[in-house]
Amino acid sequence: MFKELDPILHSQLRLAVISLLISVKEAEFTFLREKTNSTAGNLSVQIQKLKEAGYIDVVKQFKDNYPQTICKITKPGIKAFEEYVNNLQSYLGKG
Amino acid sequence: MIQQDKPMNEQESLLIIQQMIQTAKQEQKDDGKGWILWGWLLFLASVFTFLNLKWEWVSMYFFWNLFGGLALALLLFTTVRFLFMKRKEKVRTYTKDLCEKLNIGFFIFLLLIIFSINLGVSPVKGFALLLGLYGFWMLIHGTMLNFKPSIIGAFVTWGLAFAGLYVQTFEWTMLLHSIAVLCGFIIPGHIAYAEFSKIKSENKG
Repeated sequence: MFKELDPILHSQLRLAVISLLISVKEAEFTFLREKTNSTAGNLSVQIQKLKEAGYIDVVKQFKDNYPQTICKITKPGIKAFEEYVNNLQSYLGKG
Repeated sequence: MIQQDKPMNEQESLLIIQQMIQTAKQEQKDDGKGWILWGWLLFLASVFTFLNLKWEWVSMYFFWNLFGGLALALLLFTTVRFLFMKRKEKVRTYTKDLCEKLNIGFFIFLLLIIFSINLGVSPVKGFALLLGLYGFWMLIHGTMLNFKPSIIGAFVTWGLAFAGLYVQTFEWTMLLHSIAVLCGFIIPGHIAYAEFSKIKSENKG
């Protein structure tokens, strides 16, 4: 029996963001935008969805008079990502 | 550009995960510039001290004092840059954090050895301990970055550190020191720089 892939993570941009955040301690919004090659608007929306799901923490602050958005994966986010990868492996194993 | 609405299959999901993890891994690479700079400075200080001991141009520790002055200026510059530029980093990795702590520990221990040499510990034995410390830094740093040249350099340096305990003259100590920094800092530094530049140019292309 195959488990359904987490719909929050089964989206290109959200999966890319989580995959980046799983490998680092924390990352700025601009870093995520550069590495995913996405638009600021689209990325903002997807980050908000990940935040609402409790998968990432988002801290907005000012540094040297410039706004800065820092994202960090949470424990539920790590767990969800691990489950997603496990489920993905079972699907790929089937094929 | 990643298209949010485009449906994706399992293979594409896996590809995104692989690509992004690979991208993040590149942030953990060291460009080797620091090893090259410190390595060459240490190498030149020890080689010139060795030559100076042979031909007696200036006082015995002249080149190490010169190195000390340069090192202090560089350390000051690095500290200022660390304190003020750190905020501009777009990403923080666990490896970078660990590297920073390793460097702090390294410099404190380095100062302890330098102080002990100035307080009466024999320079020959003191430099052997320094080599031991270099080896420790090389091993941990090389392991963190999964960089074999540094790990090999660590064992070579430790071998030279043990040899350093048995030499009788400072000339030999300087010779061993120069070989150690060549194997442990300069060669790995240039390899790391070449690898880093290659990845950078690939990413641009």
